[in-house]
Amino acid sequence: MSRISEQPVQTGAPRAPKAKLPAAVGRVLWGVVALIAAYALAIIADDRGEPVNSMWLVVAAVCIYLIGYRFYSAFIAAKVLMLDNSRATPAERLRDGHDFEPTNKWIVFGHHFAAIAGPGPLVGPTLAAQFGYLPGALWIMIGAVLGGAIQDFVVLFCSIRRNGKSLGQMAREEIGKVGGFVALLTVLLMMIIILAVVGLVVVNALKGSPWGTFTIGATMPIAVLMGLYLRYVRPGKVLEVSVIGFLLVLASIFGGQAVSNSATWAPVFTMTGVALTFALIIYGFFASALPVWLLLAPRDYLSTFVKLGVVILLGLGVFFVHPQLQLPAFTRFTDGTGPIFAGKIFPFCFITIACGAVSGFHSLISSGTTPKMLAKERDARAIGYGSMLLESFVAIMALVAAASLTPGVYFAVNSPAGVVGATPAAATTMISNWGFPVNPAEMQDLAASVGEKTLFYRTGGAPSLALGMAKIFSFVHGSNGFLGFWYHFAIMFEALFILTIMDAGTRVGRFMLQDLLGNVWPKLGQANWMPGLLGTSAAIVAAWGYFLYQGVIDPLGGINSLWPLFGIANQLLAAVAFCVATTVLIKMHGAKYMWVTCVPLVWLVTVCFVAGWQKIFDASPALGFLAQAEALARGPQNATTAALIFNARLDAAVTGVFLVLVAVILVDSIRVWMNILGGKQKAVMTETPFVLSQLAEEV
Amino acid sequence: MRELWIQATGAIGEFFSLVLATLREIGDENAYQRHLTAHGTPHSAKEWRRFCDERWQAKSKRGRCC
Repeated sequence: MSRISEQPVQTGAPRAPKAKLPAAVGRVLWGVVALIAAYALAIIADDRGEPVNSMWLVVAAVCIYLIGYRFYSAFIAAKVLMLDNSRATPAERLRDGHDFEPTNKWIVFGHHFAAIAGPGPLVGPTLAAQFGYLPGALWIMIGAVLGGAIQDFVVLFCSIRRNGKSLGQMAREEIGKVGGFVALLTVLLMMIIILAVVGLVVVNALKGSPWGTFTIGATMPIAVLMGLYLRYVRPGKVLEVSVIGFLLVLASIFGGQAVSNSATWAPVFTMTGVALTFALIIYGFFASALPVWLLLAPRDYLSTFVKLGVVILLGLGVFFVHPQLQLPAFTRFTDGTGPIFAGKIFPFCFITIACGAVSGFHSLISSGTTPKMLAKERDARAIGYGSMLLESFVAIMALVAAASLTPGVYFAVNSPAGVVGATPAAATTMISNWGFPVNPAEMQDLAASVGEKTLFYRTGGAPSLALGMAKIFSFVHGSNGFLGFWYHFAIMFEALFILTIMDAGTRVGRFMLQDLLGNVWPKLGQANWMPGLLGTSAAIVAAWGYFLYQGVIDPLGGINSLWPLFGIANQLLAAVAFCVATTVLIKMHGAKYMWVTCVPLVWLVTVCFVAGWQKIFDASPALGFLAQAEALARGPQNATTAALIFNARLDAAVTGVFLVLVAVILVDSIRVWMNILGGKQKAVMTETPFVLSQLAEEV
Repeated sequence: MRELWIQATGAIGEFFSLVLATLREIGDENAYQRHLTAHGTPHSAKEWRRFCDERWQAKSKRGRCC
């Protein structure tokens, strides 16, 4: 099924032509879709002071995706990229039975979607819901259609036409050595921030939760067991061992419930945030140094399958339950005084939701495995553009799950103690005073129903998302009795692939650091040299571990500082990808179609630079890092004050470094564009020469 | 009616085989079959380990998306 025949185009058996609707009927149908989209958008945007059914949001999103895919992506495929199915792809020309292999379009679609979908499209919209459901929903839909999907599609195309080269290699070749180096450094720094922020999400979800900690802890021996089974008992049976692993993980959720009810074991698995941080740091070091087959590989398979299954389950849940959106379209926090993170809608809504709208990280996937598997150039449209739309839809469903919580509960779970007060009574009073009624008894009942002692101050987005998902899943079988199971199932699902990202990311960071340091001392660049391996692993773990620790001890909850840093880094990487894409389009067409990638580029650069500037220099201590450091220096001093001041200044410096790096690549790109458009520099295409495809047209 | 039934069951069967093939691709089982074909060797525990080590050496250098 996955293999593509080597049948020549001309000799393939004739296929019946696809039945096409008459043009007029097609136009009427698409007009109807556009009208439905407009009507659904009007319903969700019209704030009548009463809950809106989430199905309107789902319908609006689906119609917008359909229109974007049918018209905008078709225009880009035909006119801008001029996709040509008679041109052999790298998968065909360089077929080696390993990386390069022509593969069925829908299999590559599933593979690519599994690679781009992570915790970002789930957590980001949950956090951004503090502005209300509407800003995030509009950004997810519009950002994906005009920005994120374009980035994935164009970068995939660029890589296909360049033998499947990576983004860094293309930046070096299309823009220059400076661009290539900056891209590499941006990715490395971004990786460190990502690992810290996803680590923080896990820590905040598990602190003080014996049920969750036991369940997540159990996934490690389960993964090792799977690794041994796959290596020695049933080699090659990945699907089989994944089913076994999944059943064991489900059993561990029930085991976690028993642990949380045990007077002996519950205290053992009740850990503080700091203890969990150190556990994660130690785990990260060993996981990146252990043989891949023992822990990383089996858990990577398992987490990918679970991720796909839960996404489908969530989609079905939202479809059948279609809950009311309890959050208003806009909250009072559009003014920038939000408890979850500080800052106004512009630019912070667009920073907070990166994956789901525009994610720079996708450009690494689009220039990684995927271009080496495409059988036909035109498949790039469904895979590059289409799978980003699907990821965007996942973000919409996460937003629905979060916005279907009672607003008071949503803010009680997501607000840090440093903002709402350190006791349940203080927190509920403040949140109620904001206009979102909630009381300690209600929160206590909710915590008890999911098997937790408390749900206050669980910042990071994962617990509130898990609550929303649990309510939807419980509703499907009509009983709240399973709320605790579904809550911990959702926490397990989020933590499972976050941990996979953490040990995989530590390895990747280690390889990148070894590459960089290898230029200074070649021995350090040798992947198998043990002192180098251990030293660089420790350096990467120490780097993300430091940011994670600072997030955990941050009185404002950590998310307030780390998530915007992550968002800025991710969007800036997207800016790097758009610089490469624009350079390629200028070389292909001159200035004619550069707007396709320039419009999202200008938007992202504006958003990131405004956000970065505010995070560094804003006078409010809740928002600006330097103002926060100054306020801490002026206030009462205690044992952690000096560290907090240093951390705030470090965050300001990191943000500044991101901005400088992207400014460098942007200026370098603009120089190249002006030289080409002004005729000072020849537009040298680095595409591989045309080779006629021998593969059958349809598979 | 019978023809419609055959068409429907055929389409459903095709859909599920596509889903299974996708899962096999994600789980590297298809890649392993390609590896065996490319090297002209039968399946064995040793061959799987060789494939797995090669595959993950490259895979573990690529980041997971956030």
